[in-house]
Amino acid sequence: MSDRGDKLDRAIDLLKEPVTLDASFDTRVMSEVESAPSPRIWTQRVWTAIDWMTRGRTVTVSPLAGAAVAVGVAMVLLTGRNWISQDTTEPTGLAELAGVQFVIIAPAATSVSLVGDFNDWATSATPMQPVEGNGVWSVTVPLSAGRYRYAFLVNGDTWLSDPSAPPVLDDEFGRPGSVLTIGEL
Amino acid sequence: MTKQTRANSIILVLTTLLSLTLTAVVVAQEPRLESRVPDPPRSEINAILDSARAVGLPTEPLVDRALEGVSKGAGPDLVLEAVRRLNTELVAARDALGDQSSDAEIVAGASALRAGASPEDLTYLRQLRPDQPLTVAAAVLADLVAVGVPLDTAVAAVVALAEQAADAEYIAFRKNVERDISLGASPVTALGVRLEAAADHLDLGSRNPAPRPRKP
Repeated sequence: MSDRGDKLDRAIDLLKEPVTLDASFDTRVMSEVESAPSPRIWTQRVWTAIDWMTRGRTVTVSPLAGAAVAVGVAMVLLTGRNWISQDTTEPTGLAELAGVQFVIIAPAATSVSLVGDFNDWATSATPMQPVEGNGVWSVTVPLSAGRYRYAFLVNGDTWLSDPSAPPVLDDEFGRPGSVLTIGEL
Repeated sequence: MTKQTRANSIILVLTTLLSLTLTAVVVAQEPRLESRVPDPPRSEINAILDSARAVGLPTEPLVDRALEGVSKGAGPDLVLEAVRRLNTELVAARDALGDQSSDAEIVAGASALRAGASPEDLTYLRQLRPDQPLTVAAAVLADLVAVGVPLDTAVAAVVALAEQAADAEYIAFRKNVERDISLGASPVTALGVRLEAAADHLDLGSRNPAPRPRKP
């Protein structure tokens, strides 16, 4: 029994000795704690978020703020539709352009414009240039593959078709016109 | 529910409806028509554009046709009728050529229909050229009719070339026919001569295309 009592006394003495900890002990412990997975806390956060999102609320909206939101929604939808519209109207796979030269002989003309599907039929968008003053007018326009209707507008009031191109079939507007087809490049 | 809450809910619903209405109205406007095309017929044309857009048809040619009419000084009724007619032709062309057709093919197909070709002709062309664009073939058909070649003859020529001719050969064929006509040949003669030359060049005699479907 005395031997057992001595061992017990030594153990008690050892336990009474103060423990000296490494200076970085706290840091290391906290680092381990933070890096350890904590599914329970994550799950709690998810459920808290779900609870927050599904909880009923009373929203107060002034008429002015509501109208502003409505206009904002309308503008977003409008802009989105425009993007889609632009994407769908652009010919697919026809990105390459061909430089097409248009030529007309009009010796008495003071001005000639090329007007057609490729410039929104704007009468002054594509003026033609006289070639060395011999009555020949010319312009080169980059075009992608497709079929285009066009005409020449002489002196701002006389429409002419292109004698070197097929005429427009059954023109509804009573003015001459021509068609040009460009195959895929 | 308090009176204040109910009022807020009503305001929220009304503003949502307002936004949807505003969106529907504003989206229907084609910006290029705004400053160029008077109303009428601008609203009616915008409605046609909306319906075309909804079924995936190209709207660009419809806008172009309206702008062409206005630039050429046509009246509102004439402009609207032209857009309506083209829309009908685009629908028919897309139906004949298939949903996968490109915008350029649909536009060219509409031109061929305007020239008098039948939807069956376009469908048959598609069958003969399943892996090649039909833009030029359909356009050449319309162009040949425009320079005076009888419709049946033009269709027969374009079909005969369909399996062998590349786009460049179609265009060269059309130009040669036009040149011969401008030099005094009759359209039928010009087409016959040039088709024979193309047949030799493309070795068309060695192939027998599937029989062309007939109208019931």
